[in-house]
Amino acid sequence: MVNFIIRKVLLLIPMMLVISFLIYAGIELMPGDAVDFLLPPDALATMNPQELEILREELGLNDPFLIRFFNWLVGILHGDFGYSIQSGVPVSTLLANTLPATLELSVAALFISTLFGTLLGVVSALKKGSIGDNILTVAGMIGVAIPQFLFGLIMIIVFVFNLGWLPVGGRMTPGHEAFFQRLDHLILPAVVLGLSMTAGVMRYSRASMLDSLGKDFIKTARSKGLPEWRVNLLHGLRVALSPVVVLIGFRLPMLIGGAVVIEQVFQWPGVGQMFVAAVRTQNTPVIMMVAFFSVLIVLIASILIDIVTALLDPRVKLS
Amino acid sequence: MNSKSLNRKMDELQRKEKAGLLETSNRSRTLRKLTSNKLALIGAFLFIVMVFLSVFAFLFTQYDPNAIDLRNRLSPPSREHILGTDQIGRDVWARILYGGRISIFIGVGSALGSALIGVSLGTYAGYRGGWLDSVIMKISEVMISFPQIILVSLLVTIVGQSLWNLFFIFILTGWPSMYRMARSQMLSIREEEYIQALKAFGIPRYVIAFKHMLPNAIGPTFVNITLSTAMFILQEASLSFLGLGVPLEQATWGNILNIAQDLTILRSAWWTWLPVGIVITVFVLAINFMGDGLRDAADPTQVG
Repeated sequence: MVNFIIRKVLLLIPMMLVISFLIYAGIELMPGDAVDFLLPPDALATMNPQELEILREELGLNDPFLIRFFNWLVGILHGDFGYSIQSGVPVSTLLANTLPATLELSVAALFISTLFGTLLGVVSALKKGSIGDNILTVAGMIGVAIPQFLFGLIMIIVFVFNLGWLPVGGRMTPGHEAFFQRLDHLILPAVVLGLSMTAGVMRYSRASMLDSLGKDFIKTARSKGLPEWRVNLLHGLRVALSPVVVLIGFRLPMLIGGAVVIEQVFQWPGVGQMFVAAVRTQNTPVIMMVAFFSVLIVLIASILIDIVTALLDPRVKLS
Repeated sequence: MNSKSLNRKMDELQRKEKAGLLETSNRSRTLRKLTSNKLALIGAFLFIVMVFLSVFAFLFTQYDPNAIDLRNRLSPPSREHILGTDQIGRDVWARILYGGRISIFIGVGSALGSALIGVSLGTYAGYRGGWLDSVIMKISEVMISFPQIILVSLLVTIVGQSLWNLFFIFILTGWPSMYRMARSQMLSIREEEYIQALKAFGIPRYVIAFKHMLPNAIGPTFVNITLSTAMFILQEASLSFLGLGVPLEQATWGNILNIAQDLTILRSAWWTWLPVGIVITVFVLAINFMGDGLRDAADPTQVG
């Protein structure tokens, strides 16, 4: 197990190298001067061309591409992510300010979609063909087809404008900043992001559960005289869950993508909203760092998924 | 299904076969299964209707989708404007019809483009294996680890925002999944005996791959094309909603929805965004129905 994890983590390194190389090449291709996003803008404004040229030499901007890439990479490893072109704030500060909000939203949404998705999927598989199953199937089909942000807008109309139960937009009301006091702000975006992912998880876990219930080990368990709930939950569900875990892991990029859209709809002050603003204003350093970290998170998650799958399914061997 | 009913079914099949009633052609069976699938038929019908409405948009509205009429801003549905007008007085129904052209083109076109690239690469590299396959596989792994919307926005900032750029970016980000699927199909077919036989005859690799193996591997591709079309349509909508998709001057389904970012309009002028939202949802639903139908029809383990 330890070997397996170490090997996976080691494989991550060349992958991240390639990706950071591509991202760096992307920076180079962007319109604009590299000095602009290596220096705080106020310092930049007071310089004349000679000083800039000296600075370029000092910063190594006249070095060959590969050496510049290497320096950039070393900078990242030291936590130097560059500066936002607009505000001059270090990108690391920006990330530190927005990441908690995004994590809060994503974790809540992941929890909602996993819980409801597997629960409804399993119930629907156990009651296959019932009215409930059919209703869930139709709801799932619509859930996959409706654009996430449209679903968000409809929820805003219903719960904010018509019922007036929840506040619209933002993460907290000033003065009420404790977690439970701002829970009402979190509910709507988390439910929208969560439910829009639930449909996929539900369809998949239903199929997986049906598949698992048809296997021989279920017959064995039944013929041992185990009560039906034990057969279904301990034997059927355990095996059915592992493809579901894989699916949830594969959907992590979608979760990040969804968060970008949903944060915009609900004015949630997270990384996604910052990213969209950065793309609109061509704020290269911010775009690149968000891309870099989102890939890193996806890759780390994929390792975690491998481990969880192995723990869940007794038939999987780590080799 | 218990064994008795299976036996009965077999008897019936044999009887039909003797009487010469049984169609043995595989293609007609697939077609029959597809046409007996009601949802798939409904999906295909809706798809055709919506494509028709968009292509022949000029038959169904007399308005120009971009004609601004400032005296008629945000007017509710009426006899002149059946779906009302938007914040600068453009006819919403006309915009939905003409916007469908671009949105459907981007969705279907990018899916076909990614399939063309992904399947050709996957067919050849999957059969040939070796370094070519590992290199392409690594590239696809890199592409897949990016969250799609982040990769697309990144590319949009590099090449700039335009309809064609978005189209090519979608293809660029869409081919890896097609490649992986085609490749895995080829890997399983590669071991079949008829391939060994063809190899023994000294037939060139690309002929074996494209002429003899591809037809047997193409089934899942069609399913994947429908799924990708749905995905690209939704992505275009999301990106345009964020203002990062097709430039806002061009009417697309996503661009029409962009107006709903304004909470006052969202609240007071439902006709500007709800109809187009329904259109997108129904269109994606129709494509998914077709995809599900295709998958069931192509699956030989399901009797039709």
